[in-house]
Amino acid sequence: MSRSRSELTAYAGLLSSVLAIALVLGAPTAWLGLIGALLLACVPAGAAVMCWIDAGENAAQAGLTLAVSLTVLALASAIMIWLAAWEPRALLGLAGAAMISCVLRLRVARTAGAAR
Amino acid sequence: MSTVDHALAAAPATRIGSLNGRIQAQLGLVLIGLGAWAYGVTQLRPAAVGDYGLLTSANTFFVLGLVALMAGFVVELARSSPRGSLLTLNLIALIVAIHATIPIVYGGTPEYAWVYKHVGIISSFAHYGRIADPSNIYDQWPALFAAVAAISSLAHMNALSFAAWAPLAFELADALLLLGIFRLLVGDRRAPYLAVGLYEGLIAWVGQDYLSPQAFAFLLWLAMAYVILRWLRAPDARSTGSRIARLRARLVTGMTPAPATTRRQRLVAVVLVGAIYFVIVAAHQLTPYVILAGVGALMLLDLLRPRWLVLLLAAIAGAYLAPRYGLISSNFGGLFSGGNPLQNASGSHGTYNAGGEALTAQVVHYLAAAMWLLTLGAVLLRRKTLGRVLIPALLAFSPFLILGAQSYGGEAIYRVYLFSAPWCALLIAGLLLELRMPRRLPIRWLLTAGVCLAALFAGLQGLYGPVSVDAFTRSELRASQWLYAHAPRGSLLVLPDDNFPTLQAADYSSYDLQVMPSDPQLGQTWLDEGNLADVRSWMSDLGHQTAYLVVSRSMRADAHYFGAPRGYDELVSEIPSALHGAVVYHDADTTIYRLTFG
Repeated sequence: MSRSRSELTAYAGLLSSVLAIALVLGAPTAWLGLIGALLLACVPAGAAVMCWIDAGENAAQAGLTLAVSLTVLALASAIMIWLAAWEPRALLGLAGAAMISCVLRLRVARTAGAAR
Repeated sequence: MSTVDHALAAAPATRIGSLNGRIQAQLGLVLIGLGAWAYGVTQLRPAAVGDYGLLTSANTFFVLGLVALMAGFVVELARSSPRGSLLTLNLIALIVAIHATIPIVYGGTPEYAWVYKHVGIISSFAHYGRIADPSNIYDQWPALFAAVAAISSLAHMNALSFAAWAPLAFELADALLLLGIFRLLVGDRRAPYLAVGLYEGLIAWVGQDYLSPQAFAFLLWLAMAYVILRWLRAPDARSTGSRIARLRARLVTGMTPAPATTRRQRLVAVVLVGAIYFVIVAAHQLTPYVILAGVGALMLLDLLRPRWLVLLLAAIAGAYLAPRYGLISSNFGGLFSGGNPLQNASGSHGTYNAGGEALTAQVVHYLAAAMWLLTLGAVLLRRKTLGRVLIPALLAFSPFLILGAQSYGGEAIYRVYLFSAPWCALLIAGLLLELRMPRRLPIRWLLTAGVCLAALFAGLQGLYGPVSVDAFTRSELRASQWLYAHAPRGSLLVLPDDNFPTLQAADYSSYDLQVMPSDPQLGQTWLDEGNLADVRSWMSDLGHQTAYLVVSRSMRADAHYFGAPRGYDELVSEIPSALHGAVVYHDADTTIYRLTFG
């Protein structure tokens, strides 16, 4: 159960990262762009962390994924403001990092599964 | 074949049919509730909302929809094994119905005049990419504003387009985390859902979930609370012979054992707590100290590890505050603005007007009193096994410590209520589920339904009661945008009443926005707006050759609701003649005059 919950988080992180990048960079309408930006804000960074941690409970796993994502986004955005180096598109890097973390997590899970 | 499969295979077809029927019936109640609410909302018109608010001017479908949603929720809870999926669906539907109503009725314009000020900071960050006004307290606590500016920039969309939906988004996210926390604290399957359902009613009125740093900080606090309670609980202490240890042992009697954790998990948890807390500290001025009170209370009873966690949090808060203390000092009179808790708890002083304002204020006062009294009752009833309720009780009452230091411009009591409410809801839910009742009669569930409905409708009166004041029409927002697009930079903008969408433009600080000092509750000499000579003299003393004077539906509603500023109607009728104001913008809800001073 524990593994499936964190693996599910990894899949959610991967999917949301791909979708967020695609929508932010190529959405045909502003509202789709907003969905992409909100996805980027709410899932990838948190999934990158929470795919390695089992919160022990589904609602908490989802809630912590969201809260950690928002924490990372807020921190990164505030740093850009403090440094007067405003490059919001650089935040797409969060989705990239999340993809790496989530793929690694799934590979570890697969390796562990094969070993059993 | 699994045990469940065997059971299903063995079950008579009629029982399965009856189960399906019950699922459909419960689902039907949710859909009927949502349908009735949705139809009711389409029939609501802003112009028809009076001083008593949306509920009293709402149609039957709207009210019945809300009742059906809450009733469906309680009916499902009353089943011998309530289904999580249906309870979750019911909760989501209820939260959507509560918080989507105003954005739908008012065409997606954000509620509350001060939200526009937040949008202005967001626009400024998105436009200039730096702190544009270091003397503005909002710029110095930028975490939420910077995050929304990033979302807004990535989507190429002004935050005004989606700010109205923030309460719905925050409440859904809060509910998710609360469900997780409550499940962690109580083994019972029903109590967490019931507590979230109650919570949504209890906090509806307090209006702390709009696009604001405190709503964001509150959400992060819930995440932090989960991490602390899941991974940083102290292992069960063995009682030593000392008096303090014996007292502690009595207090923790009945407490569920701390979940097993590894050293690595605790280390990761401390890092997560530190990072989340830092963002809270960089987002909002007061929240970090309410959190410190809660964590400190848990620490005092030796319920957390590492023991230095509270010191770490205090160091983060102190290090961030120190270079910015001047702003706190000038805005709130310092960290300790007053040691009179009763005065600090008195809230924003209203010029209590008769009618709608008085009724709504009374309803929410009763609701708050009932919440805290029932919580006290719940704690007292478990006095022999206090450990079962110790953590929620500490977190429910520790926010009151803030009142010993700060009034936070009259808002501290609302933050106390917000931070106290989740834990109160959990304790009240436990009380309702554990009270001894006659078994044959469904009194428990009738009482539960009654309490939930009372909390919901009292909370909704608080939320929807002042809606004609708090919400703005699309035409008012258009007028405000016209003003910022057409008034030359540096212009004097004058509001006779502080209730109009302003400051939402990125260059908001380039304008001299002045609100007439016409509120008698200020206590000093105040301006009677009916005295036009005084009004003219006050405006010309501001040192501008011209001024843009705005009057609107929302200002009129505000003046009538609160009974201040006095003389507003006389001022509006006399602007063209006595003040020689020339109309430069006019629509159904707003008129903007240009005034010239000799």
